[in-house]
Amino acid sequence: MNVEISDVTRRFGRTRAVAGVSLLTGPGVFGLLCPNGAGKTTLLRMMATVIPPSSGEVRLLGRDPAGYGPRREIRRRLGYLPQNLGYYPGFTVAEFVEFFALLKEVPPGRVPHAVATAIERVDLGGRAKAKLRTLSGGMLRRAGIAQAIVNEPELLLLDEPTAGLDPEQRVAFRALLRELSERATVIVSTHLVEDVGAACSEVAVMDAGKIVFHGAPAALTASGEGSGAAGDSPLERGYSAVLANARSAAAVAS
Amino acid sequence: MTAAPAAPARSRAPVISRAVPLSAARLLRVELRRSAMPWILPLIAALFWFDSYRPSTGTAPLYPLRTFWNMGQGHTIIDFGPFVAAVAAWMGSRDGRRGLADLVTATARPRWAAQLATWAATAIWAVAAYLAFVGVMFGVYAGQGVTGSPPWWWVAVGAAGVTAFSAAGFAVGAWWPSRFAAPVAAFGGFLALAMSSQTGFKHASGWSLILPTNSNGTFQNSDSGIFYPWVPDLPIARIMFLAGIAVATLGLAGLPARAGGQWLRRAAAALTLAGVAIAGTAVGLAGTATQSAQGMIIPALHDAASDAPIAYTPACGRAAGTPVCVNPAYQRWLPAVTAALAPALTEVAGLPGAPARATQVADSYVSGAAGPPQALTIGGRPPVLRLSLGQLNLPGPCGFCSGAVAAKLFTGQLRLLFAHTFTGAGSGPGSPAQQAVQAALLRGAGISFAAQPLLMGTAENYPGPQPDSATGPVFAAAERLAALPATARHAWLATHLTALRAGRLTLGELP
Repeated sequence: MNVEISDVTRRFGRTRAVAGVSLLTGPGVFGLLCPNGAGKTTLLRMMATVIPPSSGEVRLLGRDPAGYGPRREIRRRLGYLPQNLGYYPGFTVAEFVEFFALLKEVPPGRVPHAVATAIERVDLGGRAKAKLRTLSGGMLRRAGIAQAIVNEPELLLLDEPTAGLDPEQRVAFRALLRELSERATVIVSTHLVEDVGAACSEVAVMDAGKIVFHGAPAALTASGEGSGAAGDSPLERGYSAVLANARSAAAVAS
Repeated sequence: MTAAPAAPARSRAPVISRAVPLSAARLLRVELRRSAMPWILPLIAALFWFDSYRPSTGTAPLYPLRTFWNMGQGHTIIDFGPFVAAVAAWMGSRDGRRGLADLVTATARPRWAAQLATWAATAIWAVAAYLAFVGVMFGVYAGQGVTGSPPWWWVAVGAAGVTAFSAAGFAVGAWWPSRFAAPVAAFGGFLALAMSSQTGFKHASGWSLILPTNSNGTFQNSDSGIFYPWVPDLPIARIMFLAGIAVATLGLAGLPARAGGQWLRRAAAALTLAGVAIAGTAVGLAGTATQSAQGMIIPALHDAASDAPIAYTPACGRAAGTPVCVNPAYQRWLPAVTAALAPALTEVAGLPGAPARATQVADSYVSGAAGPPQALTIGGRPPVLRLSLGQLNLPGPCGFCSGAVAAKLFTGQLRLLFAHTFTGAGSGPGSPAQQAVQAALLRGAGISFAAQPLLMGTAENYPGPQPDSATGPVFAAAERLAALPATARHAWLATHLTALRAGRLTLGELP
């Protein structure tokens, strides 16, 4: 298992952003569906080793990120695309990706090839020398994906990766995800259920800091059948049904 | 988005020993290309031109005078410091401002190491610009015929100062990643330099000598780098101080938990302490500095070998048949010196104690109880007139006076000081008889009695009080002596010079 999370919580003051999440996943594309404020970004930040959990255990790529040495090893093998991607406006696409390749300690002799490859994979080869400030939102997102995959990660965490991509690019991106998932665990957080349906082999739904569903996309679709939940597609109806059930159960419990 | 044309090599267990320096070098190259520092350089260049270079051109073309303002009083550092600190703070706060903190934290390279690369690029730009600007300035000086040797140690102090400001500014930005970090760092840098200057104006000894804008005891002398090397003691202490500040503040940036592993943060803490210790040691060393003839000496740092005078072949001319030799750095003023001395030497030719030759000697930083050393003295057998031209306002742009010094004023002050020392008045005003003989000799050398009071007031290094007008018993006696035929005056002086110099003559004993 590349991701082993056991009863993890994370508090920010009195707020419990993640409340007892457990997750096991190996290679493949794992979708994380949740409404705003459900705790997915906090969960991804913990998986990206940016913040430690308040309690519970996290093991990534067979290592405990609590120790600096293992954490550094994890980070060498990690790709991360935050929801709000910051960027250096004066950097070119190539420089931005090279910068992160070097921060990820890609062997320096291999950096030029790795950078070129990553940029080609997100279809930005023609804009490699363009300054980031000149790119559209979708192109910036692709530059962000390029920096995330430049080290050929074994664990790739993507928070809203398709935001800003046009339909053609989203289709291509899903193909890229499938290719990457042959060797790596790809965790994709998204609001777009069609992305989950098209690319993910597993999906989890989070609400109020907890995972309220974990299974195959087909199982999520099945959850919505006959429930009367709102949604334009079977998967959306399944998602809405799962959330509605979780919230009513929580209301009963409280 | 497309499939990979060829899968890149995976980053498995890189060979750290070789890869790290190469990787750091590549990172530095990226940072150098995208540093914000070059954007501020045109502004600094303009400031440097108007504040460091232009005012210096109003001084005589000798390196110690030309560089007094920009190096001695540290205006080059003042021009650079606040702006460099601001840009460094801007770069230090970059990841936080740009919303990249999470992304950068999630990478393998320790955060502190990446920050050091960003800082290094900022500092390299700043120091390179500083050295380039100073180099251009010295090149222009060379084209203007400025003589002596440049104060390289003080250039190094400036470079260390720029480095320290960049490090301090960067630390501000790293700790406080806000868009306001840059203006705060700029204001802080400006305030630090203003306080340094104010303290420097007031204190000529003790710890405050460590401040990079304090020129006391180190730069007011025209002959550093001409007769003897620039004394490096205080610059070394200042470089230590500024390097200590740089090291300590860079260490501070490595203390937060996200900066790196435990050993790295311990190293950062050790570096901070080492920097504080280095800076503190430098302050302590500056406190032990003492004034020597050649500048400030710090016993623990001083190398006596550096006191050896600089060998030179003098440039010589003649004044009324008397050889006059000066340091080649002063060669441009040799005609003015010989022209000024000729009438005075003619007036005393053949008298006891009349100089057989005149030679330039080095200026000294050390003042005696009676004030600064005399610019002109006569001594030895045969008598030699020793000229410390470095103490005088030379014709043309002057050292520390306002406006250009007229050749007439230079001529007058040289004759006045010569007559003063010839009568044996020493470093004081002299006895009334000595003052009267001095006035008569000056009259004989072409300076009217009426012009003498003003001359005494304006001449550099003249120790005596300035009379309000050429009246009173002293000038009355002087008029009597000057009215004598030259041969009679000469004969009287030949007879009475010994008693005059011993201070035994009274005004009434003058003819």
